[in-house]
Amino acid sequence: MAKDSMVRPAAGKSVVSLIKNKLPVFIVAIFSVILFAAIYIKGGNAQILNIFITGGMWALLAVGLALVFGVMNIPHFAHGESFMIGAYVAYFTFTPMQAYLYTNPSKFLSTMAPFGAILTAGLAGLLLGIIIERGIFAPLRHRTKEGWVMNAFLLTVGISFVLSNGANLVMGPNFRGISRYWDVDAVEIAGAYLSVDRLMALAISLVTIGMLWFFLRRTRIGRAIRAVSQDETGAQLVGINLDFIQTLTFSLATAMAAISGASLLFLFQAYPTVGGTPLYYAWYVVMMAGLGNVAGAIIGGFIVAMLQTATQVFVAVSWTTVLPTVVMILVLLIAPSGIFGSEVKGIQES
Amino acid sequence: MLELKSINAGYDFLQVLWDVSFHVEEGELVALIGPNGAGKSTTLRTIAGLINPTSGEVLFNNKVINDVPTHLISQMGISYVSEKLNLFTAMSVQENLILGAFAIRDKEIQLETLAYIFELFPRLKERKDQLAGTMSGGERKMLAIARGMMSKPQLMLVDEPSLGLQPNLTNDVFRALIQLREKGVTILLVEQNVNATLGFSDRAYVLEQGKIVMEGPSIEIKANKHVRNAYLGI
Repeated sequence: MAKDSMVRPAAGKSVVSLIKNKLPVFIVAIFSVILFAAIYIKGGNAQILNIFITGGMWALLAVGLALVFGVMNIPHFAHGESFMIGAYVAYFTFTPMQAYLYTNPSKFLSTMAPFGAILTAGLAGLLLGIIIERGIFAPLRHRTKEGWVMNAFLLTVGISFVLSNGANLVMGPNFRGISRYWDVDAVEIAGAYLSVDRLMALAISLVTIGMLWFFLRRTRIGRAIRAVSQDETGAQLVGINLDFIQTLTFSLATAMAAISGASLLFLFQAYPTVGGTPLYYAWYVVMMAGLGNVAGAIIGGFIVAMLQTATQVFVAVSWTTVLPTVVMILVLLIAPSGIFGSEVKGIQES
Repeated sequence: MLELKSINAGYDFLQVLWDVSFHVEEGELVALIGPNGAGKSTTLRTIAGLINPTSGEVLFNNKVINDVPTHLISQMGISYVSEKLNLFTAMSVQENLILGAFAIRDKEIQLETLAYIFELFPRLKERKDQLAGTMSGGERKMLAIARGMMSKPQLMLVDEPSLGLQPNLTNDVFRALIQLREKGVTILLVEQNVNATLGFSDRAYVLEQGKIVMEGPSIEIKANKHVRNAYLGI
């Protein structure tokens, strides 16, 4: 049952009360603008573009986590393994295509092949999500909802171990990567050189997030997903099939992680534990933004990317994980439900 | 239309309903009254499929619906307006209403029903873009009832609509229910406000400690000595 206190009253008319109501958001916004300017002065265009590219990836991953938590109340710690499987699937679809194109060059096909590989990874993610949800979470949910958050959390950790060790067993510990998807020269944007692969990764994550956003806001089933995240009983009472919505949500999240793993194959080579780093960053994002908040996860993705870039520019690359963690702790101390609070039910036993 | 045959139901090891049997005919407004903890809400939750009875049968249009999942019961034409309302608090009034018609895929019928609801509850029309969670108690009740009507139900189960409302708002809610009956919607109403409820319902059942102890036309129930002593305080 959604807590009414979660919903803040409509912002007051005066600017003062608006700022008061959204204090954490304002602090973060001001802080972001300053940091953004500082990065621009010190690092130039290249670093700014870097923020957007990394931010896009974290946002895509974090949106999946936020959805799964908001709709199903599952703190999903096997999200990184979906990323890993996406990377493997893309590798094993792309390399044969690459080999074929080597002997039969075709400009059109070599432009399209990467899309094919990434799409295949997405479909594999969708399938994996359906299998995990139907095979593991649905039976648990039907048996008992007691201690659900904890049980679901432990299950995801178990799934994570099984999948990464399974990958180790089947594929071995080898790194499988590609140097790049699109065999074209880097593009110059505002004085900075960027590989087409990076730009495409950004475009793919933005398009995927945009499609998801449209789906959630404008379609009948998307509205049903939001309804389930706000009130499960209410959703059932208006005729929404809870099982269908939950399976759909989980498989969409898994597919997004797989797409993200696939489109970043040139950066993160496929190996059994490749999902660890992306998982941690995605968790920084959702904890900072507010668990279960999809819009917050998108913005949060870019904030975390900005913190990373700032660390790289002003401190040292080896400190990249430290600063976001420190900031996350500070945010949680000041605003325990995250910067953007949460419009969904959050942790609760029902 | 609706018939319960010796229903036994409860939560885990706690049995609440003991051999409850009653029926609601088409077009009736039937009241289910009784003290706190008698099992009134449990009865409605059982009909809506949120609780599975341990024994007995729930029949809707002569079909057994015991094991039908909640969302399908809703799609069959039973709307349950729960005591907690179960609104989608972070969505606008209009979105809540459109979700009420989730099972109706035809956009035009949806919009027609929406227009009709807005006509019936002008207050909701004024507030259609407001978030449901920011509305007052009375408005929320209205919204919950209106959302329940959006699916064009044959039968509405309404749980304690007057709970926590000031008297003039209670009257508004009751008036809405009477209007609904005039439109041909069958209603099973659970209420604590026994005096008013017996005034406008057709028939009533009295539920005490999980058992039906009395039934009959509302006028007769209202005149009954036990009811007058226990519920009306006269």
